[in-house]
Amino acid sequence: MSVLVEEGPRLLAHLDEGPQLVHHRRRHPAPADMTLDRLAAAAEAADLRGRGGAGFPFATKLRTAARRRAVVVVNLSEGEPASHKDEALGQLRPHLVLDGAVLAAMALGTRQVHLVLPGETPAVGERIGAALAERGSSDRVSWQVHTAAAGFVSGQARAVIELMSGRPNLPVTAWVPEAVSGYRGRPTLLSNAETFAQLASIWAHGPDPATMLITRAGDTDRPRVLEVVLGGRWDAVLSPAELARPVLLGGYHGVWVPAGALANRRIAGEDLAGLGATLGAGVVLPLPEGSCPVHETVRIVDYLAGQSAGRCGPCRLGLPALARALDDIDRGVGSGALVDDLAATVRGRGACAHPDGTARLVVSLRRWFGDELALHQRQECGHGVLAAAG
Amino acid sequence: MASSRLRVDWPSCEGRGLCHELLPELISLDRWGFPVIAGEVPEELLPAARRTVAGCPRLALRLV
Repeated sequence: MSVLVEEGPRLLAHLDEGPQLVHHRRRHPAPADMTLDRLAAAAEAADLRGRGGAGFPFATKLRTAARRRAVVVVNLSEGEPASHKDEALGQLRPHLVLDGAVLAAMALGTRQVHLVLPGETPAVGERIGAALAERGSSDRVSWQVHTAAAGFVSGQARAVIELMSGRPNLPVTAWVPEAVSGYRGRPTLLSNAETFAQLASIWAHGPDPATMLITRAGDTDRPRVLEVVLGGRWDAVLSPAELARPVLLGGYHGVWVPAGALANRRIAGEDLAGLGATLGAGVVLPLPEGSCPVHETVRIVDYLAGQSAGRCGPCRLGLPALARALDDIDRGVGSGALVDDLAATVRGRGACAHPDGTARLVVSLRRWFGDELALHQRQECGHGVLAAAG
Repeated sequence: MASSRLRVDWPSCEGRGLCHELLPELISLDRWGFPVIAGEVPEELLPAARRTVAGCPRLALRLV
């Protein structure tokens, strides 16, 4: 596998036992006797929130989708290039993800379950295919498998529904939530693979301890996926040296937090709110030693500009302009006011959140690294450790 | 009555700018000519907003 996966307390427990159904069933009973009220109550008691990045309460989504001809969609396609947790789940815990989907289908009274596989990692598709063959027809659901295109925006909810509908795998405008009207106008419960795995785990073993999958990069040659207990300390994820440098939380659509800011905070959404950050899809990118947050942001925004689907004018034109304005700052000739103006101009002005996520990253750079940007104006660099801890 | 808001279907919009001509009170244009919507539609501008929605040559504007 292209990632290192560590043993965890729930989803990633007993990794030595292998991903096959026979092992899985020893610890997780087959889904049965599920109703909407039971599943919604279990999700509510655990405060289960979507793990694709937006963090929407799962029980609310489930109840909204609970109407005639509902459809369940499991999104295994991680657009965020730094995230590998769903790839890890798909390969090591496929049956936990599938159990969660079956539970949701039973609760909604539907047999229609769609699985959207990542185009970049065919190994996930192979493992899911093998897992479906093991299950045979025992689930009484109709599994339909799709493979998403490579690229940042192809895993976005509306892009996934477009793919399922036989149209190009690109975002379109959502006038109402997918749970109200999604695939072919039907109520569509579309959630990230980890959300379904968490649901199955909560159903089998109760809500405690609440955990989250994290992908982190930078300390080994491959990204690491680990399962952390929510409310725990960040030193379970980052070394003391990494905590003393800036960290990019949430991936390429995430935000910078300043050096030292995580040392006295817990792994919890409410602890991050003051920093303007969220746990998102659990991507944690510590700034490598000797790197510079300005330079890193230039590189990422340049990449994100290239990942625009090019359908929405403000994103197609605004992200390259933003990348150029940031590059000028990195080289000591730019204007912070222009960067702020461009970030504000692209925000909220696309079919998907790609421009918003890019703007959020840039705004966090401006918020925490004003001193660093001033240094760059003098052709110097402080590697982002000048900013005071928040 | 619930407040109304103009929303742009961004993949359809090509920045023709007619919406700004029809409803300059609420719609300005960014540096590339794409619409920038200012807040909710007040009651007295609702008829003009409906005409603007109907007038978009790309049918890229909706009152929601």
